[in-house]
Amino acid sequence: MTLALATHATRTLTLEWRADGSLWAVRGEVERPVSVRRCFPWTEPTRHLSLRDADEEEFAFVRDPADLDARSRAALEMALAVAGFVFEVTRVLEIDEEVEIRHWRVETRQGPRTFQTRLDDWPRGLPQGGLLIRDLAGDLYHLSRPEALDRSSRDLLWAFVD
Amino acid sequence: MSTQQHLDDHIIARYTAQPTRLPAELRRQIEHAWQGAPVQLYALADLDQGLRLTEAWLALGPRHVAVAKRTDDGAWDLRIIDRAQIQAIREAPGLSANTLTLLGAPGEPALALLRYTHRQRRAFENIRFVLEEQLAGHIRHLADVDADRLYAESVARPIRDAQALVSGRQTAVIRRLLGYLKPYRRQLTLGMAAATVITLVSLVPPYLAGHLIDRVVRPAQAGALSLARAATIAWLAVAAMALVYLVRQPAVHIRLRLMSIIGEWVARDLRAELYEHIQRLSLAFFSRKRTGSLITRVSADTDRLWDFLAFGVVDVSLSLVMLVGLGTVLLTLDWRLGLVMTLPVPVFCWLIYRHSEEITRLFIRAWRKWSRVTDVLSDTIPGIRVVKAFNQEQREIGRFAERNEDVTAEFNRIHASWTKFWPLLMLGVHAMTVAVWVFAVPRLLGHGAQLPVGTFVSFLLYTTMFSAPIEVIGQMARTINRATTSAHRVFEVLDTEPEIRDVPEPIRLEPVHGRVTFEHVTFGYDGVRQVLRGVSFDAAPGELIGLVGPSGGGKTTIVNLIARFYDVSGGTIRVDGIDIRRLDTGHYRRQIGMVLQDPYLFHGTVLENIRYGLPEAPLSQVVAAAQAANAHDFITKLQHGYDTVVGERGHTLSGGERQRVSIARAILHDPRILILDEATSSVDTETEREIQQALERLVAGRTVFAIAHRLSTLRKASRLFVIEDGRLVEHGTHAELLATPDGKYRHLYELQLQLQ
Repeated sequence: MTLALATHATRTLTLEWRADGSLWAVRGEVERPVSVRRCFPWTEPTRHLSLRDADEEEFAFVRDPADLDARSRAALEMALAVAGFVFEVTRVLEIDEEVEIRHWRVETRQGPRTFQTRLDDWPRGLPQGGLLIRDLAGDLYHLSRPEALDRSSRDLLWAFVD
Repeated sequence: MSTQQHLDDHIIARYTAQPTRLPAELRRQIEHAWQGAPVQLYALADLDQGLRLTEAWLALGPRHVAVAKRTDDGAWDLRIIDRAQIQAIREAPGLSANTLTLLGAPGEPALALLRYTHRQRRAFENIRFVLEEQLAGHIRHLADVDADRLYAESVARPIRDAQALVSGRQTAVIRRLLGYLKPYRRQLTLGMAAATVITLVSLVPPYLAGHLIDRVVRPAQAGALSLARAATIAWLAVAAMALVYLVRQPAVHIRLRLMSIIGEWVARDLRAELYEHIQRLSLAFFSRKRTGSLITRVSADTDRLWDFLAFGVVDVSLSLVMLVGLGTVLLTLDWRLGLVMTLPVPVFCWLIYRHSEEITRLFIRAWRKWSRVTDVLSDTIPGIRVVKAFNQEQREIGRFAERNEDVTAEFNRIHASWTKFWPLLMLGVHAMTVAVWVFAVPRLLGHGAQLPVGTFVSFLLYTTMFSAPIEVIGQMARTINRATTSAHRVFEVLDTEPEIRDVPEPIRLEPVHGRVTFEHVTFGYDGVRQVLRGVSFDAAPGELIGLVGPSGGGKTTIVNLIARFYDVSGGTIRVDGIDIRRLDTGHYRRQIGMVLQDPYLFHGTVLENIRYGLPEAPLSQVVAAAQAANAHDFITKLQHGYDTVVGERGHTLSGGERQRVSIARAILHDPRILILDEATSSVDTETEREIQQALERLVAGRTVFAIAHRLSTLRKASRLFVIEDGRLVEHGTHAELLATPDGKYRHLYELQLQLQ
């Protein structure tokens, strides 16, 4: 059995950033401000994208941004950068265990950051390699290549990497 | 400043590296720009447009909002927006970056666009909620809101909920823990005295051996002491040695017995105090803490504290005494050899400390892999039907085998580490002994300072006594850390104050008639977002009030407030005309019965469960209650009848049977006010009919609040209240509401009819 993907025709869809600071999706006569959700943020981050309106209803589904015109694709990429933003860890400075929580001090591409995880919340290995850590507030920290970090970071991370 | 806010400020400063509040200078600038109007809420936007960490603030006042961004020269770039200009608010959530956009007229540029991480999300949600209320035409007055407290709470809460933060100082926690030994001062003194005796007398035999050789054996062999005199002294020394052991072993017995008993008493006291306190805590506490974590605190943590108090305290203190004693004796006997033996001791302690750190690191890795093994178990054993249905047994076996191999390799790595370390450490201790020989032999042979043979023998014997206290001292940091962690977790619960407390001289309503009145009741779980917004009604004694409406509308909150699980944020709830905050809570709750969607039965017999609220009820009344609940028939068919053990949470009974037992429990309890929360939603039609019959008997003569999504079950209600978005939007009888054109109830009812 072949399952057909229920999508709206991507060719008639255009995307643009407007003065109100929102990404607008236009399909024929209908237009709406939308936000982007990746269906597979780690397995396939650049394809299978759901565009959702303010009521969280799916307005359009983009299987492949290559199906869009160049301007729409550029607009979508900008939106993806915000929607898919996570902290990129470049150095681990300290991992300390305290009462019931693990305290992390790291440097990220975005600046220095401290965060905490539960002792039994382990970093998650990603399908394409790398590690993902979720802190107590829900923020995500990505280590794309833990093995390429400096020696001190690797030592600190040793217990958390396979 | 409240203790709570002090704690939140401490958490923010220690863990987040972000300001604990809106900078004072900025606040002054904002309030000046608002002509003195106060900042009511604020949030930190910690990401800039390029998604780099930054410091920008969004502040909300009675008529304005302010957006402040730091400029390169450290000043604040302030933008003031009139709240009346805001026509829409848009929030775009992302994996870690959220965007809040305040919009003015359509097509116009955004009034403000702020980006922030999830850490700031609660603070932003508070502001967004107030602005959305304004757009919906509901003015939310925030005169009594403390902006600093709400900001600190919103940022610190995830950490506070995860961690048992009672006191940052380890010494304070240890001192508090030791305070639990106070009632057992006499036994403790005796136990410590026995332990001191053990330590001190352990130092005697090596000394006696040396003394015997130098003062008796050698002089006798050299003819300087008569054999008869030597024999007498030698036998006296032997007798002294025997006496040492005769004293030591009873002391060992006293120490082990008393300290373990004291430890048990303290653990018992802690468990009792903890459990009693947990029973008094409000529901809000239980919604913040995981059940498993609370169970661990009463069981494993108190057990770990027993171990620490019974043995850790004594072991650590006496090991210190032992090392100091050994060092003193050795330096007194011969300072040169004494230095050879005592100088390496701190190095050994440090090595053991380093090794325990290394082992901890290895254990973290092993626990991580162990959790992957248990993940497979907790996935596949409860889901075994799915595994079999999809024929995935081999895949699951392979998955488990791989993880099992992995964890075994990690545990073997731990074994490789300690089996290498301890022989090496003992080699170090033996090297110390060899060093003693190296320094001693020339002196024994007459070179350098004189060294009596007996003194040398004493040294050799003392050498063997070093390793045990070194090991304990090396592990001391870990022992104390483990104990203080458990103590933190226990004290956190003990230090949590119940949010529902009786006023002095509370009122006991006798009898309770059951009139329930809501007067402009507002309620929010977090102080800002209101779940109930000005709900008013009056339910007469004996009325059956049906609460209907969409999920999340506030129905369950209403019944929780009637049971006084929480106190209202605004307005008043009265029972028989008296504010429920003035009532004796325990007595009042005895007048309330609850039948919930998922009835909770305790591990025990059917009889014990029915009699839970009234343990002395006669058996005939138990049977009568079960008959009224349509439960008698199925109970008598059980092999052990009413004496059947229902298992944990009543798992041996079906959902409908559990429900009928819980109705029997409520009937026997005979409450004046009854709450039915989706009591028939999870059973089949036939069972629902039986439960419905039982409920009809139960509700007679009581004031009843019944929540139901299946509206047909509430047709007999005296009145129906439609609750939506925290408001009472419609009320009336079933017929009256159906007769209302465009009514919410009518719409819901018609939707359900279409589905049937």
